[in-house]
Amino acid sequence: MLTYTLRRIMILIPMLLVISFLVYLGLELTPGDAVEYMIPPDVANTLSREALDELREALGLNKSFLERYWIWLTNVLQGNFGHSTSGGVPISQIFLDRLPATIELSILALFFSTVIGCTLGTISALRRGSASDSLLTVAGMLGVSIPEFFFGLVAILTFALNLAWLPVGGRLLPGYETLWDRLPNLILPALVLSLMMTAGVMRYSRAAMLDALSREYIRTARAKGLPEWRVNFVHGFRTALTPVIVLIGFRLPTLIGGSVIIEQVFQWPGVGNEFVTAVRSQDYPLVMMIALFSVLAMLLASLIIDILTALIDPRVRLE
Amino acid sequence: MDGDIALTVSNLRTYFYNNNRCNKAIDGVDFQVRRGRTLCIVGESGCGKSVTASSIMQLLPTLSRIEEGEIIYHAENGDIRIDELERNGWQMRDIRGAEIAMIFQDPMTALNPVYTIGFQIGENLKYHTKLTTRAIRKTCIDLLGAMGIPLPERRVDEYPHNYSGGMRQRAMIAMAMACNPKILIADEPTTALDVTIQAQIFELMEALKREHGTAIMLITHDMGVVAELADEVAVMYMGKIVEAGSVDDVLRNPRHPYTRALLSSIPVLGRGKAQDIRPIRGSTPDPFDRPPGCQFAPRCDFATDACSRLPAEENVTATHRVSCWNHREVADA
Repeated sequence: MLTYTLRRIMILIPMLLVISFLVYLGLELTPGDAVEYMIPPDVANTLSREALDELREALGLNKSFLERYWIWLTNVLQGNFGHSTSGGVPISQIFLDRLPATIELSILALFFSTVIGCTLGTISALRRGSASDSLLTVAGMLGVSIPEFFFGLVAILTFALNLAWLPVGGRLLPGYETLWDRLPNLILPALVLSLMMTAGVMRYSRAAMLDALSREYIRTARAKGLPEWRVNFVHGFRTALTPVIVLIGFRLPTLIGGSVIIEQVFQWPGVGNEFVTAVRSQDYPLVMMIALFSVLAMLLASLIIDILTALIDPRVRLE
Repeated sequence: MDGDIALTVSNLRTYFYNNNRCNKAIDGVDFQVRRGRTLCIVGESGCGKSVTASSIMQLLPTLSRIEEGEIIYHAENGDIRIDELERNGWQMRDIRGAEIAMIFQDPMTALNPVYTIGFQIGENLKYHTKLTTRAIRKTCIDLLGAMGIPLPERRVDEYPHNYSGGMRQRAMIAMAMACNPKILIADEPTTALDVTIQAQIFELMEALKREHGTAIMLITHDMGVVAELADEVAVMYMGKIVEAGSVDDVLRNPRHPYTRALLSSIPVLGRGKAQDIRPIRGSTPDPFDRPPGCQFAPRCDFATDACSRLPAEENVTATHRVSCWNHREVADA
């Protein structure tokens, strides 16, 4: 198990390098260079070509692509993520500000959707064909197909504006210190963010559970005289867990990458929101780092999934 | 003790319901299983062999039920009407695994892949005995050892995918035998295994029968297996027992045309390529569109006009019974 984990971690390194190169290349291929974005066009027009070239020289932009990539890479590896071109703030500072907001939102949403999704999916599978199963199936379909910004707007309209139970958006106000203070602001975005995922997890766990319950080992378990709860949960649910874990695991990247849409709708100051701003203001060093962090999150998530499935399913542990 | 009746099935009818149609999967079956004896139920696919086993264990699928008849388990402290028990109720669960155990056709899929063999055998003991965790583990190891699994103290912690097919079926038998059941139902236990393993599994079952006096009900479609293991045989066709009796009665003196046809359709080793294998002509009728009388009549070489009515069961000898209008002609032919 330990060698398995170590080997999986070792594979991450070359993957990350390749991906960082591709992201860097992608940004390189976009038209224009950093100087054009840094300096507003009206100002740039007043400057001489020599002055602009001098600036490029000073920023190292006249070096070859590979050379610049190498400089960037060695800096990142030393923990120097560079500065945002639009605000001049160190990118590490931006992450320190934004990550906690995103993480607390995502963890809560992940928790809601896992618990509610698995429970409803299992109930649905155990009562297959019943009215509650049909109702849940329809709800699940709606949850998966309606885009989340719609739910977000409906939720704001209903709970924040009409009923005025919860704030419209935002995260911190003067005087907010503990998590408890900002909990009212957190509930709506977390619920809306978890809604779609809950629907997904529910549909998935229903299917996985039905599949597990139709297996022959379920009949073997009954033939042993085990009580129904043990047949359903120890033999059914446990084997149904593997695909559900994979599904949930692939949502883990939102922990770092943030949910772009929900953070926008609720004005949640997370990484996702920042990402949109960075793209709009063509702040390439920042876009680059956020993209890279999302990739890292994705890779880490798949690592976690692999380790969890190996823990749950002994067949995966094969050498 | 030997020869005591362990299980009586009389006039059992189990029907399947599907798209508002009714499939009479078992349509009036009678037999008895005796302690220390093996009853083989033979027949081709779809004749109701496995449904009979599932009926006894109350493991039928949701859309099927026992419509009529009795399944009586003759327990030490009185008879139990299994057909009257609630499907997954506590009384039924107390019988399953402890009094009547079952092994299934495909050991590849019948074991749960995510639990160790020891865990799966232990579950049986956990629910039917008062043994401690430590004692359960020890019993599991002993059982695996008794089933001829090498290094049982290590194998007990391994998963089904670490076992070969034959070993998995041994583990299944160990699981079934864990609580020393009075009756063992084996539903084609060797169909998924190769022939050399088959012999070992049967040897194991014979030993259990000898040593523990277990009553064995073996479901098979293999006449060779019947000849080797059976004490009694029941031949099933389209949900009915067409002929039953001791193994000598049925194999040496078959009275039903279907039994005869089955026996002459088996290739015999050593007779070479030139031997005359006669397959049964036609195919089994659609269960939703059955012939009115004898179910075998459309495929039968001995069919007469009388066969359009359902034949009554006749006793040829005290142990040998057959359902055929023309069984005397069959015997003479």
